Amino acid sequence: MFKTLIKKELRAIFNSPKFTAIFAVCSLLMLLSVYIGISEYEQSVMQYQTTHELTEQRMSEATAWPQVRSKAQRAPNPLQIFVGGLSYDIGRWSIIDGESSVKLRNTHYSDNPIYALFRIIDFAFIVQFILSLFAILITYNAINGEREYGTLQLVFSNPVSRAKYLLAKCAGSWLGLIIPISIPILLSLLLVVIFKVPMSGDDWMKTLAFMMVSLLFFTFFIILGVFISSLVRRSSVSFLIALLAWVVLVLIIPRTGVLAAGQMVYVPRIAEIEGQRDAFAKDKWAVHYNKLEERWRDRNAESGNCAADDEKIWKWMKEDDAARKNMEIEIEEFYAKLKEDYRRKKAVRERLAGTISRISPASAYQLAAMAITDTDLSLKNRYEDSMNSYRTQFNDYISEKAEKSGASGHVMIKISTEDGFDVSSFDSDETLDLDGLPRFEPPKLGFEESLSSAVIDFGLLGLYSILVFAGAFNRFLKSDIM
Amino acid sequence: MLKVLIEKELREVFGSLKFTITFGACAILVILSFYMGASNYSFSHAQYEAAKAQNLKQMEGLTDWASLQNHRIFLPPQPLAALVNGVSNDIGRTIMVEGRGELTAEDSRYNDDPIFAIFRFLDLDFIFGTILSLFAILLGYNSISGEKEQGTLRLALANAIPRTRYILAKLISSAIALVLPLLIAILIGCLILVILRIPFSGEDWLTLILIIITGLLYACVFLTLSIFISALTHRSSNSFLLVLTIWIFGALIVPRASVLLASRTVKVPSVDETTAQKSRYSSQLFKEDKTKMSQFKPSDIDDPEIMVDEFNRFMENIADERDEKMNRFAERINEERSNKLRERQKLSLALARISPTTSMTLAVTTLAGTSLMLKNHYRDEAARYQKSYGDFMKEKAGMNPGGHVMRIKMMMDDEEEPEQINPSELPVFNYKKASVFSAAKTASLDLLFLVIYILLFLTGSFWAFGKYDLR
Repeated sequence: MFKTLIKKELRAIFNSPKFTAIFAVCSLLMLLSVYIGISEYEQSVMQYQTTHELTEQRMSEATAWPQVRSKAQRAPNPLQIFVGGLSYDIGRWSIIDGESSVKLRNTHYSDNPIYALFRIIDFAFIVQFILSLFAILITYNAINGEREYGTLQLVFSNPVSRAKYLLAKCAGSWLGLIIPISIPILLSLLLVVIFKVPMSGDDWMKTLAFMMVSLLFFTFFIILGVFISSLVRRSSVSFLIALLAWVVLVLIIPRTGVLAAGQMVYVPRIAEIEGQRDAFAKDKWAVHYNKLEERWRDRNAESGNCAADDEKIWKWMKEDDAARKNMEIEIEEFYAKLKEDYRRKKAVRERLAGTISRISPASAYQLAAMAITDTDLSLKNRYEDSMNSYRTQFNDYISEKAEKSGASGHVMIKISTEDGFDVSSFDSDETLDLDGLPRFEPPKLGFEESLSSAVIDFGLLGLYSILVFAGAFNRFLKSDIM
Repeated sequence: MLKVLIEKELREVFGSLKFTITFGACAILVILSFYMGASNYSFSHAQYEAAKAQNLKQMEGLTDWASLQNHRIFLPPQPLAALVNGVSNDIGRTIMVEGRGELTAEDSRYNDDPIFAIFRFLDLDFIFGTILSLFAILLGYNSISGEKEQGTLRLALANAIPRTRYILAKLISSAIALVLPLLIAILIGCLILVILRIPFSGEDWLTLILIIITGLLYACVFLTLSIFISALTHRSSNSFLLVLTIWIFGALIVPRASVLLASRTVKVPSVDETTAQKSRYSSQLFKEDKTKMSQFKPSDIDDPEIMVDEFNRFMENIADERDEKMNRFAERINEERSNKLRERQKLSLALARISPTTSMTLAVTTLAGTSLMLKNHYRDEAARYQKSYGDFMKEKAGMNPGGHVMRIKMMMDDEEEPEQINPSELPVFNYKKASVFSAAKTASLDLLFLVIYILLFLTGSFWAFGKYDLR
C-alpha cells in the first residue's frame, strides 16, 4: 500500500504543468550558474597567473637584495564555481617585503564594481533562493489541496493509517523532487569535467558534501511545505503562509542576525588599528632618530671631529642598521598584538552572528556551504597567517643574502667642507639569482578539516527537518479529513 | 461606473487574506530596511569618527610638519548610502595621502568585515528589486484569469461595461492597492530616520523621495506586467508560473548574465597589470634620480648648512619632476584601462537594461550617490584634497615631503625644545557628492525606461483583454 501511495504521489507531481515549468527553470538556472562559475574561475586563474608572472619578472629585475619585493596571492579555488562565498570580497594579494605588514588588498569587487552592483550568482544562491521557493510551490497544497479536491476522504476509505499516509506523502514529494533535481546536478558536475577544471580528490569529496547539504536544505523546505499544508485548511492560505515563511527564513533572519551581532559587539575599522600602529611607530622612530643623533655626536667626538675612515663608518652604519631592525621588529610585534586583539573581537562577533542567524536553516545552509568549500570567514585569517609566516621566511632569506653581497641599493652621502658633496650608491648592474628564494605556498585544507567546521550546520539542518516533520505528523494525526 | 468598479475592486483586495499577508510582510521589510539602514549608518559613523580621531592622534608630538610623511582620509558614511548600498561597501574607503603620487583607496567594508558580505544588507534596492516586485506579481497575477476561474468575470461584464473601462478599473485599483499601503510603511520608515536622528539634509530628503518614486514606478512595471499576462492566460496557476519565470530572469539572471557576457566580449587588462607597469616605471625613475643625485654640486662648500639646504631643494625639485613624469605615465596607462572598462560597462549596462530591475538599480544608486561612479568620484575628490594638502605642506614646512623625497636633516647643537605642531591645522577632507539635480539628470534615462515599460504593459493589457475569451 505504501508503495502505491508513493507511486501515486510521484505520478501526480510529474504530470503537473507546475512541476514541468519550475523544473525547467531550475535546471536552466543551475547549469547557467555553474557555467558562469566556471568562466569566472577561469578568469581568476588567468589573473592569478598574470600577476604571478609579473611579480616574478619584477623580482628578477632587482639588482640588490633589499629591493626584492614579493607578492603573495590567494590562489583561485575551483570550488568557488559552486560557492562564491567570500572569495570575491576579500583582498586577492598582499605585498611581502621588509617594510609593510601583511595585508590582503584589491578585492575582486573593488577592482570591478560592476560585478558588485549585480553580484555573482552561484549554485549555492540558486539552491538557497530558488530551489527553496520551488520546494514550497510544489508542496504547499500537498494535504489541504487533496482535502479541497475531496481525494483525501477517498484515500482514507481504504485501509491506510494516517501515519503511513503522511510518510508516503513526504517520501513521495521528496523522491519526486530529488530525482529530477539530481539531473541538473549531475549535468553541472559533468560541465566541470568537460571544462577540465582541475579538481583534486579532496575537491570532489567536498563537492559531494556540498551537494549533500544542498539536498538536505531542499528537504527541509519540502517538509516545511507539507507541514504548512497540514496546518491550514485552504490551499490559497497555506501558499501565502509558506511564502511568508520563506521570506522570513531566507531573506530576513540571516541579514538581521548578522546586523544585530554587529550592533552588539563594536569592532573598530582596520584603519583605526593601523593608525594605532603608525602612532606607535612614529614615536619609536622619533626615539630612534634622537638616539642616532646622540650616537653620532659621541662618534664625532671620538674621532676628534675629523672624517673617520670608511671602515669605521661602515661599522657604525651596521650598528645603526641593527638598531633600526630591532625597532622595526618591535613595531611589528606591537602590531601583531593589536591585530590579535582585533581578531578576538571579530571572533566574538562572528560567533554571536552565527548563533543568531542559524535560527534560520537558510543561514545554516549558507555557512555550511561556505565552510565545506573553504570560502568562509576563516579564509581571510588562514591566508593572513600563512602569509605572515611566509613573510618571516622571505625576509630572513633576503637579509641573509644581503649580508653576503655588498650591493644593498643604499645611497651614501658625504658632506665635508673640504671635499664638498659626495653621493655614492651601493648598486650593481647584475641581477640576482632568485632560485633559492622561498615562494608562497597557498594553504590547503583537507576534506576532513573543511567538513568538521560544517558539522554543526549539517546537524542543525537535520534537526530542523525532523522538527518540522514531527510537527506535520502531530498536526495531521489530529486533523479533520472532511 | 468606473468609480464603482474601482471601489468594488479595492474592497475586495483590502478584504482579502492575500493582501493582508503580503502587505504585512512587505511593510515589515520596508520598515526593517529603514531601521537597519539607520542603525548601520550610526554604526559606521562611530567607526569613521574613531578612525579619523586616531589619524589625528598619530600626529601628536611631532615637531616638524615635514616629518609627517602621510596620513589617511576616509570616505565618510552617507545616510543615503546606508539605505541604498550600491557599491559603497565594495570599494575602498581609506586613502593614504602623501602629498604626491597616485592615490589608491583600500579597506572596502566587506574586505574589512567579511561577515557582512555573507548575507549583505537589507537595503531599499534589494527590497524594491526582489521583494516589492514579487509582491506586485502576487497582487496582479490572477486579476483577470482568477476572475474568470471564479466565474465573476462573466458576471461583471454582463453589465453594460465596456471592456476598456473594466480593465482600467482593474489597473487603477491594483496600483492603489500596491502603492497606498507601501507609502504608509515608507512614512513609518522615514519617521524612524527622524527619531534615530540620522542627519538628513533637505537635499537628502528630496533624493529619498525620488528614490521612493523610482521604487514605486518599478513595482508598477511588475504589476502591469502581471495583469498583462493574466489577461493572456486562462488559468491563474499558469499565469503565476509565467510571471514568476519572467521575474526570476528579470530580477536575478539578466543583470548578472549581461555583465558576464560583456566581460567576455571586451577584454580589460587587470589592475595588477597596470600596477606592475607603473611600478616598473617608477623604479626606473628612481634609478635615474640616483644618477642625477651623484651629479649634484653645491655652490658653496664652505658652509655645510647652505649645502644641506641646497641639497634638500635639489631633491625636492627632482621629486617634483619625477612626480610629474609619473603622473603623465600613470594617466596614460590608467586611461587605456578606464577606456576599456567604460566600453565594457556600457555594453553590459546596455544588455542588462533589458530588465527593468537594472534600470531601477541604476537609478536608485545614482540618486543615492552609490553608483558605479562612486569609485572615481571619491578618487577625484581625494586628488583635489591631496593638492590642497601639498600646498599646505609647502606653506607650513617649506616643502612637500610626500612621495619618498630624500632629505638631510642637520644636527643642531642648540638644545632648544622645538614647538609641537597643531594637528587641527591640517586641511579637512570634505567629501562632496553630486547634487540631487545632476544625479536626477543622470537617472532620468532609467526612469524613462521604467515609464516606457509601464506604458508598454498597459497597452498590452488593454489589447489582450480586448480580445479575451470570457468562456
